[in-house]
Amino acid sequence: MNNTIVALSTARGRAAIAVVRMSGDNAIEIAKKIFHPFPTQPNLLKPGVLETKHFNEHAMCVYFAAPHSYTGENTVEFHCHGGTAVSQAVIEACLDNGAVMAQNGEFSKRAFINGKQNLTNAEGIIEMIEAETASAAKAGANLLENKLGKRIVELQNVLLDAVSACEAALDYPEEDLELPTVQTVKEQLRTVAESLNALIATSALGKVAKYGIDVAIVGKPNVGKSSLLNALIGTDRAIVSDIRGTTRDTLTESVNYRDIRFNFVDTAGLRESSDEIEKEGIRRAKKAADSADVVLHVTDDPNDRSVYPTIRPQVRIYNKCDLFDSKPCCVDSLVVSAKYGDVEIVKETLYEMFSADEIGSSDLLITNERHLDCLKRAEKQLAEAIADCDKTTLDVVTNQIKQAWQTLGEITGNSAQEDVIDRIYSKFCLGK
Amino acid sequence: MTDKNFDVIVIGAGHAGCEAALAAARLGCRTLLLATNLDTVAFLACNPSIGGTAKGQIVKEIDALGGEMAINADKSLLQMRMLNRGKGPAVFSPRAQVDKNAYHVNMKRTVERTPNLLLRQGEATEIVINDDKTFSVTTAVQLTYTCKAAVVCCGVYLNSRTLVGQCVRESGPNGFANAKYLTQSLIKLGFNVARFKTGTPARVRLDSIDLSKMVEQSGEEDVQPFSYMSGSVPTAKRHCYLTYSTAETKRIILENKHLAPIYNGSINGVGPRYCPSIEDKIVRFADKERHQIFLEPESEDTCEFYVQGASSSMPASVQEQIYRSIEGLENVEIMRDAYAIEYDCIDATQLDATLMAKHVKGLFFAGQINGTSGYEEAAGQGIVAGINAERYVHGKTPFTLRRDNSYIGVLIDDITTKESVEPYRMMTSRAEHRLILRQDNADLRLTELGRQIGLVSDERYDKYLRKARQISIGQKQLKTVLSPKIYGPLFERKNEAITGAGLTLDEALRRPNITARDLQELGYFEGIDCDALYQIELECKYRGYIEKEKEAIRQADKLENKTLPQDIDYLKIDGLRIEARQKLNKIRPQNLGQAGRILGVSPADIQILIVYLAQNIHNE
Repeated sequence: MNNTIVALSTARGRAAIAVVRMSGDNAIEIAKKIFHPFPTQPNLLKPGVLETKHFNEHAMCVYFAAPHSYTGENTVEFHCHGGTAVSQAVIEACLDNGAVMAQNGEFSKRAFINGKQNLTNAEGIIEMIEAETASAAKAGANLLENKLGKRIVELQNVLLDAVSACEAALDYPEEDLELPTVQTVKEQLRTVAESLNALIATSALGKVAKYGIDVAIVGKPNVGKSSLLNALIGTDRAIVSDIRGTTRDTLTESVNYRDIRFNFVDTAGLRESSDEIEKEGIRRAKKAADSADVVLHVTDDPNDRSVYPTIRPQVRIYNKCDLFDSKPCCVDSLVVSAKYGDVEIVKETLYEMFSADEIGSSDLLITNERHLDCLKRAEKQLAEAIADCDKTTLDVVTNQIKQAWQTLGEITGNSAQEDVIDRIYSKFCLGK
Repeated sequence: MTDKNFDVIVIGAGHAGCEAALAAARLGCRTLLLATNLDTVAFLACNPSIGGTAKGQIVKEIDALGGEMAINADKSLLQMRMLNRGKGPAVFSPRAQVDKNAYHVNMKRTVERTPNLLLRQGEATEIVINDDKTFSVTTAVQLTYTCKAAVVCCGVYLNSRTLVGQCVRESGPNGFANAKYLTQSLIKLGFNVARFKTGTPARVRLDSIDLSKMVEQSGEEDVQPFSYMSGSVPTAKRHCYLTYSTAETKRIILENKHLAPIYNGSINGVGPRYCPSIEDKIVRFADKERHQIFLEPESEDTCEFYVQGASSSMPASVQEQIYRSIEGLENVEIMRDAYAIEYDCIDATQLDATLMAKHVKGLFFAGQINGTSGYEEAAGQGIVAGINAERYVHGKTPFTLRRDNSYIGVLIDDITTKESVEPYRMMTSRAEHRLILRQDNADLRLTELGRQIGLVSDERYDKYLRKARQISIGQKQLKTVLSPKIYGPLFERKNEAITGAGLTLDEALRRPNITARDLQELGYFEGIDCDALYQIELECKYRGYIEKEKEAIRQADKLENKTLPQDIDYLKIDGLRIEARQKLNKIRPQNLGQAGRILGVSPADIQILIVYLAQNIHNE
């Protein structure tokens, strides 16, 4: 018997509507006590009155009968007016009638236990929920479709071939088997290692798809960094003035461009200063630049050739071009007027710089930290195994390959010893 | 107490039964060992060989625990080899050819001379649980014995049939009588019975073999015997011979395929994939040109040779043709026909890790009746069942081996966790921690346990302590620094690069071509025996990998330590796949680690159990 849990399913705070969800054996029974008239059939959203302790709420109600619901249990949703007070009262009404407050993620855990989703599915759903851009949502959808899982199984199969050949050699020394040579084993491992590296490499693009590109805007005071930020995001978010040192703290604003997201960070102008607060601002500006994916180095002097000291890639921007008498000295730079002009060129340049157009066409991007971690560990184990081929014995090498294979299995949740033994028997002719 | 009351009765005197009976008797139980025929005691019904990959490790483990198989094999040795040299210490596997007659005689003599142990001919026909929880065991001649614990080790004798073409006999192996009644009694006691099969090749006359067409395989002089107690034993008394099947063999088999019981439906039992008959090999691996055949001596007393790799259930006339198509066997005279044998065995998932039935306390099972194959696998179970029968009788805590301390632990965990769909053979690939479970350290892994149980003699224990002490002394010297002047000549001779700087003994040992004995010759590790030296050397050379393995064990322990409540109704956990629910409900694993090893329970199912457990604790 599963107790019935309840929670607010939409975001907290002011909103047009809020959805309160209840799941468990008694969900329908509890809902019938507080909502009238209760829908006569599942999957239909019906208007009615929800009685709370404090007031009657005109809401809508839909129920899903087990197992045809997200959690696989009886589930009821109340679509009520938004805001904290209303949803709180609705939840209280449910609690008063026998429901308990859901723990974090409990709806999904129940869906998992009830066989409604597997691990990678669950990760896909989370990524979709958290997606802020179309490409992040696509990456989540790919997980749901198990594209990664299928790729991993292909790679695992190559390793399984290598392992079973080695194991057969180890367990059947007196058999007349075609023994795996160091060279063939290494070849197999290298193919897999290369594929893993290719997958790992997609994580850079995956990060762009999932989190967007972090862009730090740096430069001397009064070159128009805050104006540029405002122009890029299309609102007057940062204070702009002629006074040097107006921007003190860093300011981050995000904007979607095509299918990805830019996270622009406006920073304090860089100069020698004795003002403690300004000095701190400058320190933060440097930190922002060092952790950004790319630095926009802004200047308003067409003869400025200086390079901002950072290991991150940078793009020089000549701002205030409407005031220039001469052409800027460096050609591989962007020339804009944040005050008057169009700054789309900046976004377009960054978009191309990160090959973000490939996100749309790429089939599979690694966006999940756990997957990336598994891939990296497996890649490392394979690299060790390849190195071991030349310097140690087959028993050890085989273990290393098995470990890599198991690590990959962590991604899909499939690794089993028995696979090796089955493979040995199916591929080799063995006597006693 | 009358003469028919015993503490422990062991039914069957094969490899499992002898170990079980010896263990129980040596630990102080008044023990009866019943055999259908006293000439079958420790009979090597199939190949005249002990050990091999993974099996050699088991023999060493039985020895470390204080069992008999290793000592008996050493007494009966014809030749010994170390398999897998060059593939790494984790898979080095000693394998012996033994004298089949001597093996039987030596074991029988040991059994007869063991105090507390009575060897008696008699076919057990029924086991009855008495009101006072004791058992009555009745034999075919209507004698009834009682005991507090019974160990059933009837091998392949239950309702067995042998098949040679259309000739089907109700018989045990080698024409010995089978046991016709005990299966019914076991079914009555609630055991599920399955039918397995196996087979054995023909025995042929040595003087009809053309040895000149074969490759001689002799024993290796430098291999240590199985037992730590055996001292030096000649390891190269007799040769084996290697030859091959031919295209003609293939033709004959394909032409007569319809006559093989396995293909015409007259065999019902499930055979092992790893020990296929020659007809099976040829049909399944049709593209293979030829198959290896070994000729092994059966005994010093006979000219019979065992034809390894050519077991068959074809009619005798076809067998003759097949054998005569093998290189060097053109004129061979078959002395005993090859045959297949079918037999009853029980579902070992009904047993716990002590090999006691979960639903009949005091009733133990060991050996091929549990669906395993192999003498060594049987003996390994036998000693564990015998020890636990004694512990049960005397009210002591159960004794179990683990996957991370022994192959026997892996074996018992596997068969009691996974339903066997074919006879179970041990392989090194089944042991996930094989880098640690080596043939060279079985004594270090298990002697202490054997001592605590009471099977390890003072002499054996002293040997073990001496070795352990020497290892620890040697390890303390590893930081000693060698100057290039000292190690230079050695390194030059062994093709190792000389750095010009000093090296510690540890660093020197990590060089692939440098052994601890080399360093001993330079004057280090003084007074340390070669066994201990080898341990020191391996620890250095494989340290990184061994550390990794130990870490893997710690990781695995996390699941092993998560106990599963015994009252979970798995059928109601909808997230589990139906197969997983049924298997879990049937086997009722002790912990998540064991649950994960059940066939049909996937890692995804385990994740669900983890969440389920957390959830249930939260709900309570």
